[in-house]
Amino acid sequence: MDDKKGKGVSRRDFLKRVGAGSVGAAVISKGLLDAPGADAYPTEAVEPAKGRSIVSLKVNGKAYRIEVQHRQTLAEVLRDELGLTGTRIGCDRGECGACTVIIDGRNMYSCSQLAVWMSGKEILTVEGLAKGDKLDPIQQAFIDHDGPQCGFCTSGQIMSGKALLLRNPSPSEAQARRALSGNLCRCGNYNREVEAVLAAAKAR
Amino acid sequence: MAQKEFSVVGKATPRIDGFERVTGKAEYTGDVQLPGMLYARVLRSPHPHAKILSIDTSKAEKLPGVKAIVHSFNTQVTWASGGLTQKRMIFNNPVRYVGDAVAAVAATDRYIAEDALELIEVKYEKLPYVLDAAAALKSDAPKIYPKGNLSVGDGRVTAPIREQWGDVEKGFKEADKVFEDTYISKHVNNAQMERRVSVAKWDGAKLTVYASTQGISNARGDIAKALDLPLSRVRVVCKYMGAGFGNKNQAQDYDMMTAVLAKTAGQPVKLEFTREDDFIGMHGRWASEQHYKVGVKKDGTITAVELNAITNMGAYRKQSGDLTGCDFYNIPNYKKVVSPTHTNTVVAANYRAPAYPQSVFGFASMLDQIAFDLGVNPYDMFLKNRVRVSKGKSQFTSNEMEACIVEGAKKIGWQEKWHPAGASKGAKLHGIGMALGGYPFRLGLGAATIRLNPDATAHVIVGVVDIGTGAKSTMAIIAAEALGIPLDQIQLASGDTDVTPYSIGESSSRTTSFTGTAVIAAAEDVRKQIFAVAARELEAKPEELDLKNGIVFLKSNPGQKMPLVKAIRKVESEIIGRATTNPTWPEGFDGKCFAAHFCEVEVDRFTGQVRLTRYVAAHDSGTIINRLTATSQVKGGVVQGIGMAFTEELLIDRPTATPINPNYRDAKVPTHLEVPEIEVLFVDASDPYGPFGGKPVGEPPITASVGTIANAIFNATGKRFKELPITPDKILRAIQV
Repeated sequence: MDDKKGKGVSRRDFLKRVGAGSVGAAVISKGLLDAPGADAYPTEAVEPAKGRSIVSLKVNGKAYRIEVQHRQTLAEVLRDELGLTGTRIGCDRGECGACTVIIDGRNMYSCSQLAVWMSGKEILTVEGLAKGDKLDPIQQAFIDHDGPQCGFCTSGQIMSGKALLLRNPSPSEAQARRALSGNLCRCGNYNREVEAVLAAAKAR
Repeated sequence: MAQKEFSVVGKATPRIDGFERVTGKAEYTGDVQLPGMLYARVLRSPHPHAKILSIDTSKAEKLPGVKAIVHSFNTQVTWASGGLTQKRMIFNNPVRYVGDAVAAVAATDRYIAEDALELIEVKYEKLPYVLDAAAALKSDAPKIYPKGNLSVGDGRVTAPIREQWGDVEKGFKEADKVFEDTYISKHVNNAQMERRVSVAKWDGAKLTVYASTQGISNARGDIAKALDLPLSRVRVVCKYMGAGFGNKNQAQDYDMMTAVLAKTAGQPVKLEFTREDDFIGMHGRWASEQHYKVGVKKDGTITAVELNAITNMGAYRKQSGDLTGCDFYNIPNYKKVVSPTHTNTVVAANYRAPAYPQSVFGFASMLDQIAFDLGVNPYDMFLKNRVRVSKGKSQFTSNEMEACIVEGAKKIGWQEKWHPAGASKGAKLHGIGMALGGYPFRLGLGAATIRLNPDATAHVIVGVVDIGTGAKSTMAIIAAEALGIPLDQIQLASGDTDVTPYSIGESSSRTTSFTGTAVIAAAEDVRKQIFAVAARELEAKPEELDLKNGIVFLKSNPGQKMPLVKAIRKVESEIIGRATTNPTWPEGFDGKCFAAHFCEVEVDRFTGQVRLTRYVAAHDSGTIINRLTATSQVKGGVVQGIGMAFTEELLIDRPTATPINPNYRDAKVPTHLEVPEIEVLFVDASDPYGPFGGKPVGEPPITASVGTIANAIFNATGKRFKELPITPDKILRAIQV
């Protein structure tokens, strides 16, 4: 692979550079250690293996303490460890926005956040928007305005739209477009996604 | 049939699976998690053309967590749909492009699989290579295949592709003027959001593949053939699909790799492509060099067209490599010779309307230029020469191209806004352009089963997967309309070959026509059974009855009626209706969708930047089954055309033959910021052979888009851009001369 040239920085190279991983260590995911009320347990209760750490974070209002590999991204932990597969991975290198979640009120690419950085953070994913069967207005607007075509970018579009509406309840069309501009949609459904965000703003 | 007669068809209906799509609950292939599942990664060739002398996996095997490694020396599996002319394996030796798969590893996690790739030692003997299609056809070019680089092979398709009617020499003699020019398009990637992914597991001798495929039935066939399994032992499942635009037709090499890895490891395996794998390891739209010779009368009427072209198929010919942009014009004398050619570059195959947008760009630019040279308004040029006869001989079953042109032009205000090319002055140059497009409307094999439950709800069982088009919703709407029960009473069972009947797959814009026709026939089968029962109760003949909105009634006296539930109760079980349909065109007829696109641009004279200010897409897709999703389809197709026109091009570093922009950022796919409101107009139309008069919508929208934009840039600048993409640097160089 040495004579591969001209490649951009991959997420993997990036992770290597930040010295995250002990390459090649045998790892079996311990996954989810505990769920609600996990904060009550002291960190020392479980000794993490080399290259792993325990992280306490809140996802969709629920507290978790989980052991993660240093090289695991938040997107991977959400999907593989917490079973929250509504967060999609489109590029895994911070370009497409399919993995967008809201971290402490800001929309961010979860593929570009290491899970170990998430200690003490509050994370909102697409699964956390609806209250039971009652959809968030932005979700209903995405259905009514045909926001999803293939639907793979939809969670990310919705989370960026939601983050916008949290900070600006009545955005202009230009503001909505700008706010979603980090979310690619190869189906090209951009008109619809912006329409849906603006409709959600009106529905509030 | 006028649209007002329908109860569900023709309305704007939200998708039946919208809830799953907006809550994250939709299960895509990559979301499938199985107990004991391993993760796989693919090692790819760093060389454009090389013989693999040896593959040493001993170090990789020692890495804890590595469970299986497969490559060309231990795995000989043919990928039948990977090459139309040459036999293509899932691992090839020699490797023929940078990105050709060399080996695949399954390990307990993704990181270990990636680490293992770096421990595999491959010895290559480099071979001479060629990157350009024109150079590849020269007699002294390195041969990628024994017979040479013109993609002849011994397969199902020929090279060159030839098509002709009339007599071009006679046509050129009849012309007042003959024009010749060359247009060039580049390789662009489908770049669908869902990376390619496959999950395979074996239960004894039965293989289940959770695939990300556009067609589960064909995928099952391909996998069974590749692995020499009976069809009953292969199950292909695809519940939600993150698009493909043609690059996930059938089964792909990674489906077979995953199956073999799972077999070797004795554990389920998930193989996810990286985004880079996706750009270089699969395929994009074929690049082309199109040379046109066009004869016209003084008023612009075409007398003859000759097209000689080369298409760059990369290392394998997975699909046709044709160019079909002349299809939308009336050409009395036509001759086409297209040479699909092999080079040591990324494979080119199907991307939404595979042979169209690049050749519509070429031919619509050609006609637009001729109109300018003759002093004819392009609107008159396109209207005059619009297609009336298919392939020089057949009649169309419906053709509203004229309405598309007239109504689209009216909507954008062509007559008020058009000015001769180059007439716009100032810092921002205004331009307006148009082009014609469309797509074949095909008929063919479809199958459907409908189960009418005792409570008068129904399950529609079809082999479709919804790649984003809204096909599931379309099938449900067609079923609701055909059965005469409300849409919310319909559930769709789809996407699992163990359960669902054959479907052609969502490619070539065929689902609505092929499977939709079968759904209607299955519904008729159900209704026949219902009417037989209800006839006794209502003291009428079965043929005198109708069913609407869950009520069975006498057509001549709607007051004489009974609820559907009561009729089913008489049968004392569910009612199964089924149909396999395979209609064909009557002799001398052919089907097509039509489109005329229009746009306005603003070119910054000092930066060469182009802003699309308005876009109008007028389409004849027959009866529109669902106006909401159909409109989205048109908008999306245009957006992909915007990328192709302005920015997208796979760039290859010549000294290493390596793609240098195999990622979203550098491939420059359009974002929210480049896309204006796309105004969609469906002209009043209906086709006697489409389900409820419907024709395809999926592929037509991209066909006309690139040519439309190119012609608007010409109108703004007075400069003709003959090579895609039309980037600011090219514009600036041209207008500053």
